[in-house]
Amino acid sequence: MTSSISCFEQADCFFVTGSNTTEQHPLIGTRIIESVTKRGAKLIVADNRKIRLARLADLHIRLKNGTDVAFLNSVMNVIISEGWEDREFIKNRTENLEELKKVVVRYPPKKAADICGISEKEIVEAARIFAAANKAMIVYSMGITQHTHGVDNVKCCANLAMLTGNVGSPGKGVNPLRGQNNVQGACDMGALPDVYSGYQKVTEPGIREKFEKAWGVEDLPAKTGHTITTAINAAAEGKLKALYIMGENPMMSDPDQNHVRKALENLDFIIVQDIFPTPTSEYADIILPASSYAEKDGTFTSTERRIQRVRKAIEPIGQSRADWTILCDLAQRFGYQGMQYHSVSDIMDEIATVTPIYGGVSFERIEQTGLQWPCPDKNHPGTSVLHANGFSRGLGLFCPVDYRPSVELPDEEYPFVLSTGRCYFHFHTGTMTRRSQLLGREERFPYVEIAPADAEEQGIHDRMWIYVATRRGEVKAMARVTQVANRGVLFMPFHFEEGPANLLTINVLDPEAKIPEYKVCAAKIRIAQ
Amino acid sequence: MKILTEQQLKDFFKLVEQNYDLHVPIRLSDGTRAIGNLEEGPLAMAGDLILQKITSVFFPQMETMLTGNHEKMECPELPAKPILLVGLTAQDADCLAFIDRFYNANYRDDIYCNRREGAVIVCVTGRCGSNGEFLKMAGSKCDIELICDGKDFIVTEYTEAGKSLTGKMEKYKEVSAESFNRLRKESDDLSDNDVQLIQEASRILLEGKVPDEFWQKISTRCIACTSCNLTCPTCTCFDVFDRKLNNQVQRWRIWDSCQLDGFMREASGHNPMGEESMRTRRRIHHKLAADVSRWGEITCFLCGRCDRVCPTGIGIKAVCREIVEQYGSF
Repeated sequence: MTSSISCFEQADCFFVTGSNTTEQHPLIGTRIIESVTKRGAKLIVADNRKIRLARLADLHIRLKNGTDVAFLNSVMNVIISEGWEDREFIKNRTENLEELKKVVVRYPPKKAADICGISEKEIVEAARIFAAANKAMIVYSMGITQHTHGVDNVKCCANLAMLTGNVGSPGKGVNPLRGQNNVQGACDMGALPDVYSGYQKVTEPGIREKFEKAWGVEDLPAKTGHTITTAINAAAEGKLKALYIMGENPMMSDPDQNHVRKALENLDFIIVQDIFPTPTSEYADIILPASSYAEKDGTFTSTERRIQRVRKAIEPIGQSRADWTILCDLAQRFGYQGMQYHSVSDIMDEIATVTPIYGGVSFERIEQTGLQWPCPDKNHPGTSVLHANGFSRGLGLFCPVDYRPSVELPDEEYPFVLSTGRCYFHFHTGTMTRRSQLLGREERFPYVEIAPADAEEQGIHDRMWIYVATRRGEVKAMARVTQVANRGVLFMPFHFEEGPANLLTINVLDPEAKIPEYKVCAAKIRIAQ
Repeated sequence: MKILTEQQLKDFFKLVEQNYDLHVPIRLSDGTRAIGNLEEGPLAMAGDLILQKITSVFFPQMETMLTGNHEKMECPELPAKPILLVGLTAQDADCLAFIDRFYNANYRDDIYCNRREGAVIVCVTGRCGSNGEFLKMAGSKCDIELICDGKDFIVTEYTEAGKSLTGKMEKYKEVSAESFNRLRKESDDLSDNDVQLIQEASRILLEGKVPDEFWQKISTRCIACTSCNLTCPTCTCFDVFDRKLNNQVQRWRIWDSCQLDGFMREASGHNPMGEESMRTRRRIHHKLAADVSRWGEITCFLCGRCDRVCPTGIGIKAVCREIVEQYGSF
């Protein structure tokens, strides 16, 4: 997020797209609800599903899944042709506007409306409300990123924010909501194939040298490694021999489960480090029991880049151990003596010495409310809003992109679009929440949302078991006939081992970010028995 | 009448700890207050409202009801020591009195009653609220009352159980009845606007003047976080489930929430409660209308917790305000 959670209390307009905010980020979702109901802030929701926020929105646009680029380009087309852009901001803070204009001119509302399956009026209205706001912010999540054009979608969001001067001060911003408690922290720590901690590139010799010196080692790799998705592909192709999987459940969370199974079966050696057995750990040669959040000390870094303490409440159960102690012991067994720490606080001190954005972070300073990075030195108060005085590269670069359709669209044989995601009561692959009595009671079965008109046409009624099939396979799920679903679109949560939505999803990736296209593939349905 | 400093109270609690299972207000590392023991945090007699369900000391979030194997079933062991619970407001004491009634009427809930019997209830009132706000005095709703004069705590006891404890306070300073009376007067002079508000809302509800559209609007703002129920001292609903481990079966209960679909859903999948908005209606209607018929009183005692924790501003007082504004006569 470029802004902070508290900034949501200052925005005059929210543009929420590809985020079921009240269900997946309730603390942020409720701030939007309060802002709309108490402060009269405007709310535009661009989402195929009629999510809770859509019920409170000034404008709910049910665009076709995967047509975001056409829609956002068209909104920018209207803003530019009406002269609603923020010329001052563009002049002082950005470059490449002319190139953006050349692309968005190709998306007049009529054309975009046809692509997106919406009306021209909705596009013009969205542009008007967003551009008219004093402080507007864009809020998005996986509905924007989980596409083969996910990076393009994000670029469009950034273009729109810069075009209207909505970056760099409280109440504005481009706010992708992180989907897990510490996914921000994991990325910050370099759990990515191309960077060390603090997004320092492995391909830069100076950076490598710094880490070699700090860790007392030589010849750190200069090559970018695999992402999760490409690692699974490499395993399936026999190009990878071993995987060490920590707190991840690719059998449930990666696209095309049969492909993942084949990949795991192909590997010579698998270690799984997790707190519960999972469908992935069934393929493990070695399971290392990790301890849960309640059994360890450390930090989680939230969606607003806030580094916060997690505190041990109980001793680890059984043989389970904190992840860092397992990793340090492993390093020692490999013959490396440099990873010996007395406590997690020591580790944070090391992070601060090699990571400029964490330079001023220490356990002492984050004891009560944490710190938001960048926090480069001990006296720095942390940063609540990014890009206040300039972008990382100096001027913000407009990156125009053209609309590319999703890879697998509905056809005669597979007439529905299948989109996947999470529900309110379960988290991700359900390894934790499906072990909870009340959460299990609320959502006990794999289900698929279907629009009432589609259900009626197919003779399907609520809670009837149906089969959902794609070119990858077939899954049995309970029909949920609901107005939340739009005509022609099915939605399935991926929490359920006995009805795994990711057996159906397509393994195609965004060329840059390598994120899978979870939100669009073609599907058909039939009644079970 | 005795008067004790916070430090003296701490010393006193330590002294009696060997005979009581102690639950006192403590300060947590994030600055908020909670009920705990003296090892878990420093004593914090004054400050912001304790948000945790105050009756959870007797009705915890999760507990074993029965343990059994193929030979016998066993109930939980009786508490080794009586509970000493410190830190209730006057409203909290009303809440506790209500759930005492609830768990004793018709069907006696043994697990609750075994914990509750012999417990000593200590209210903390006077000038000890958030930023020195004056909290209404509780009087005889509790065993002992500690009334803050802005600095120290005047001790009054109302029951024999209370006396048996305060009898051990001989060595502490005496204070005149006049000081107590001054605080009493200040308490009596506190406004009862909220009480009038909730009574008016209750009347409007009982007269059937609140249409479904109102509940639809309110429920759109409810994200079913269930915090209102989980902090409410008069919410008594629980779900029951069994855990099997080796040759043992444990029957547990866990707090439930009427804001969840599964709370009323039948095995068929049908929910007789109807649509989502009816859940929101139920939350308010139950305490303000149904309980008035069943128990003869409104069973929200305005402790303030749901209004503090509700992230979208639809706690019970906030909803009452909207009811009265839209459908009331004044």
